[in-house]
Amino acid sequence: MSAPAPAPAEQSSRRLRFERIPMRRIILIVLSVSIIYGVVAGSTATLRTGVFTAEDWQSLFINGLARGSVYALIAIGYTLVYGILFMINFAHGEVFMAGVYTAYFVAVAFAGNGFLNSNPLLSIAILLLVSMAVSVFIAVLLERLAYRPLRGAPRLVPLITAIGASFFLQYTFRGFYGANVRAYPTIEILQGKWTIFGIQMLKTQAIVIVAALFLWFLLYLFVARTKTGRSMRAVGEDREIASLMGINVDRTIVATFAIGGALAGAAGILYVFLFNQVIFTMGFLPGIKAFTAAVLGGIGSITGAAMGGLILGILEAVGPNLFLTGAEVPSPNQLQPVIAFGILVLVLIFLPGGFLGASEEKRA
Amino acid sequence: MSHLLELEGVSKRFGGVQAVDSVDFFADPGEIVGVIGPNGAGKTTLFNIVTGFYSPDAGKINFDGHNLVGLKPNQITRVGISRTFQSVRLFAAMTVLENAMVGQHTRTKAGIYGALFNTRRTVNEEQKVHTSAIESLSFFGERLTPRINSLASELAYADRRRLEIARAMATEPQLLLLDEPAAGMNPAEKEGLIELIGRLRDEKGYAIVLIEHDMPVIKGVSDRVVALDYGKKIAEGSYDEVAADPQVIAAYLGKAGSEEQQ
Amino acid sequence: MNLRSALKPGFVGGIVVVYLSAIGMVERFQDRNVITGLVGLGVVLMLVAFAITSYTAARKSDSSLLTGVAVGFISGAFVAIVTMGFEGLINAGLDVRGMFVSITPGLLETLEFGLNPVVGAFMMVVASTAVGAVSGVLVGLEYHLRSAVVFAIGITLLMSLGEPILRVTLGNLQIPTGWLYELGGLTIAGTIIVLALAFGLRWWWMSRADTRREAAAQMPEATRRTWGRASLMAAIVALVALPWIVGPFVSDVLGTVGLYVLLGLGLNIVVGYAGLLDLGYVAFFAVGAYAAAIFTSPASFLVTEEGQQFAEAGFTNLWVALPFVVIIAVVIGAAIGAPVLRLRGDYLAIVTLGFGEIIRTLVLSDWLSPYLGGAQGLTRVPAAPPSSFDLRNPQHIYYLILAFSLIAAYISYRLVDSRVGRAWAAMREDEDVAEAMGISVVRYKLLAFAMGAGVGSLGGVFFAAKIGSIFPNSFGLQVSINVLAVIILGGIGSIPGVIVGAAALVGLPELLREFGEFRLLIYGAILIAIMIFRPEGLLPNKRRQRELHEGQDLAAVDLTKEGPS
Repeated sequence: MSAPAPAPAEQSSRRLRFERIPMRRIILIVLSVSIIYGVVAGSTATLRTGVFTAEDWQSLFINGLARGSVYALIAIGYTLVYGILFMINFAHGEVFMAGVYTAYFVAVAFAGNGFLNSNPLLSIAILLLVSMAVSVFIAVLLERLAYRPLRGAPRLVPLITAIGASFFLQYTFRGFYGANVRAYPTIEILQGKWTIFGIQMLKTQAIVIVAALFLWFLLYLFVARTKTGRSMRAVGEDREIASLMGINVDRTIVATFAIGGALAGAAGILYVFLFNQVIFTMGFLPGIKAFTAAVLGGIGSITGAAMGGLILGILEAVGPNLFLTGAEVPSPNQLQPVIAFGILVLVLIFLPGGFLGASEEKRA
Repeated sequence: MSHLLELEGVSKRFGGVQAVDSVDFFADPGEIVGVIGPNGAGKTTLFNIVTGFYSPDAGKINFDGHNLVGLKPNQITRVGISRTFQSVRLFAAMTVLENAMVGQHTRTKAGIYGALFNTRRTVNEEQKVHTSAIESLSFFGERLTPRINSLASELAYADRRRLEIARAMATEPQLLLLDEPAAGMNPAEKEGLIELIGRLRDEKGYAIVLIEHDMPVIKGVSDRVVALDYGKKIAEGSYDEVAADPQVIAAYLGKAGSEEQQ
Repeated sequence: MNLRSALKPGFVGGIVVVYLSAIGMVERFQDRNVITGLVGLGVVLMLVAFAITSYTAARKSDSSLLTGVAVGFISGAFVAIVTMGFEGLINAGLDVRGMFVSITPGLLETLEFGLNPVVGAFMMVVASTAVGAVSGVLVGLEYHLRSAVVFAIGITLLMSLGEPILRVTLGNLQIPTGWLYELGGLTIAGTIIVLALAFGLRWWWMSRADTRREAAAQMPEATRRTWGRASLMAAIVALVALPWIVGPFVSDVLGTVGLYVLLGLGLNIVVGYAGLLDLGYVAFFAVGAYAAAIFTSPASFLVTEEGQQFAEAGFTNLWVALPFVVIIAVVIGAAIGAPVLRLRGDYLAIVTLGFGEIIRTLVLSDWLSPYLGGAQGLTRVPAAPPSSFDLRNPQHIYYLILAFSLIAAYISYRLVDSRVGRAWAAMREDEDVAEAMGISVVRYKLLAFAMGAGVGSLGGVFFAAKIGSIFPNSFGLQVSINVLAVIILGGIGSIPGVIVGAAALVGLPELLREFGEFRLLIYGAILIAIMIFRPEGLLPNKRRQRELHEGQDLAAVDLTKEGPS
């Protein structure tokens, strides 16, 4: 005898039991276990081969710290804007590019007449000023022309605009300055190495790390202590109430973009200390990586942006060699973007609030 | 006889706030239960737990022989619970009819295949969706049916509330959860609402749980009233019993008192 | 009228023209004749910029002619002064081109109309003032007349820009074109004829508008449906006949446009219907192309040495591979989608972008190059049988792409008003409520994502079949942005919009090689402009339009409908 057909209630109950299996959680667990396995296995294999000496790891670490400092400075621009407008300013990488690319021509002029190496500190200060000024100008222009008309629009609308702005700016500067890679003139006093606490590092790396820390600290004080900084936090909390309290919301938003731009401009100069070249597309990858850093640290948090930047920089510099060499992956450093984007994806999946950020908003 | 919906020791915590604190609760078939309590008492959180938007930290929820804990909101709708929202949440860019048709989602099956080849089953099903949506809308007499092709956002406020109920009806529930249905209504509309809730039970056979601040409405419709404060159940019984309960009075007066002080 | 009100638009016009010059657009476009021997496209570009600024300013003012003249004058003066400034800097021996690579002698020559700097500057002011005056007069004209004038100018411009297609097409039809075109532009006589014809036609059409509307209103439902069907059939017949009318070169362009229509329809399901902004759409395009190449190329790593002969003989062919490719893409789409679909919209966008870049990096890497060819790409994707239907022939592959685009369009069309379409629409508007109505948000997001992946991979397969070899460079973020721009320009969620978007954004630049380097610049500008001024796109999907204008009063919506297009 065959069993009687299950009653509808029973059937739906069986369906529910099946659907109750948390598929997503299972996928996530499988994913995280395999990633952890890959990382551990790859790292141990690499370490066992002994291809890299302790000094190699040290220098990779410093390298990561230096580039991470640059990411951290750019990330602050994302974090500030997100904290106040809840939009991803996708074009922020281009703000970064615009400043340092423009300053390039000043650097070339200085190098041409010898000023660059006869007055290196003054030259660097001027380059910084030019780069920051141009970046601030572009950031503020962007806000005024592209984003301000869209306040209050559905969330994806400003994001699409920002993507459009990113390409628009890239190709604008391509039109202005050309499509070639241009080598930044070298500054002699920045060449060579220092030994600090027994660790050898390039002078540029040390300077980048210290300068980034200093700028970050300035910003931290600014946001914590000044009136504009307090306004920024207030507007981020609740724009309407802030404006009722007499805060000029427009001006505060402009200030936010300007500060983000200034730091991006400074980051640009630090970036060329490390990488020595500019091209119109140079903003894209650092931009995305800085955004990753901002999310990693918890978007909206300035400390988070700094931490996220450093962590990302180190993972990116050390990671491919550590995880992949042992797995006999040829030229692992080619896969650096995979590490960066992989972290981005994983952070958003597992830790959408970041290390320091608030958890996802409540629903319903 | 077991209850239609039964909660046992349900708790939910948000950070430092105990939003719902080991609440026992039930509703029987065909029963209308009013849930009252000051703002922040955990009423809406309770709804969100029952409908699967939050998962409880502790406790059991049973409905019609199903364990609801761990089910997603859409699955809970499928087993027969439907709800409205405190701040009316319609699909504003859809027409009145489309809103009600969305409600039929779980009661229909058509997938891509049916849509592409326009199979007889899909055609019949679309017909059924249409009829049933119209039926839900016509429950409100002449309020919604003449406007089925206008946008939900064009409706008057009270009609939006009605459409939200119609949409919930279209899911063919056994239990309807209404979150402050009388909010923003004038006295005449409230009268209509009392009658409507009665009809929902009598004609459709739903069990109804409603959150409401408006005491005349609660008094007018409830078979049983449950009072919450700070996430705890503080009283349960007939309207008169609960209204006379010193803890309930204290809860309301305490709130009112502290509001006055501000 | 207040002169100060003309100051700002005047400067805006001037800055825009200086900007267009500084990025090299004016000079590059000037290479192309609009009216041969009279004006090039670069000058037209400037004049259009002047016209638009003076027109918008004049429309807001009560004395339109004066405002138009003033705005035109200020713009022109600004441009003239900047031009003279650069001339001076160059004469002073400054290496301006070392920084601004586009400020070339050729550009300055264009800006000075080939005259000496001072006379050129004077001419610039005269020209811009004249354009301003014309714009001002236009504003004052009665609606029908103005519309006919604008239409005539627009058509003339289009006729001129369309020279590559039109000349070839007319030639194929044995129609002489010597009277109309000369050296890539319109002849003067041709210009006059086109202007007059377009003006007359528009005038006639508009004068009959009321009668036409009445006739349409009186038409019985059945007749109207027949008409609708007939015009759809006519359109399909025209599409089928097209490649043989326009010839192989334009067919190739049509094939590319079709590819983007296909990709656009796929992305439209994801972005337009399900409301998920996918910035990594190129990933599925790449999966399709690479999977097709791996399955069919004799150079593929799947081919063993013994199998070499079979492979050369076409053991697996494109038709066999096609379903497998799509299945693979759908599986990858679902696998990528499953963990991330719970994310909020903007995060999802960035994650998908990340996936796209990960796939591109992997394809480029030495690590996977034994399988995917690294930077060298995969070559020798064989022609698909039968040999009489050679897919390398643009006139042939066009049909394949057309067929699948029609299928994709049909699928989209059927889905949008079905139970599935309603679920998507509900989810797009309010995820929580959709869930409370019993819609499994995850399932419907996955469904959209997987369908988009499948369609995208089809695009990739045809791309591989069309080109015969694939290189990682073809699969950058730009592709995702191109497709996104296509559906956004046409109107998110709108099927005709995808076609118009692809024709405008892919077809036009293919025809105007001068566009090439400014393509992404223009796409970026379009994304910004559409989002600000007309978020529902050119041919909006009704429901989407309502969503985007929620909360605005209806008057405002009507205004955008009536605006000049």
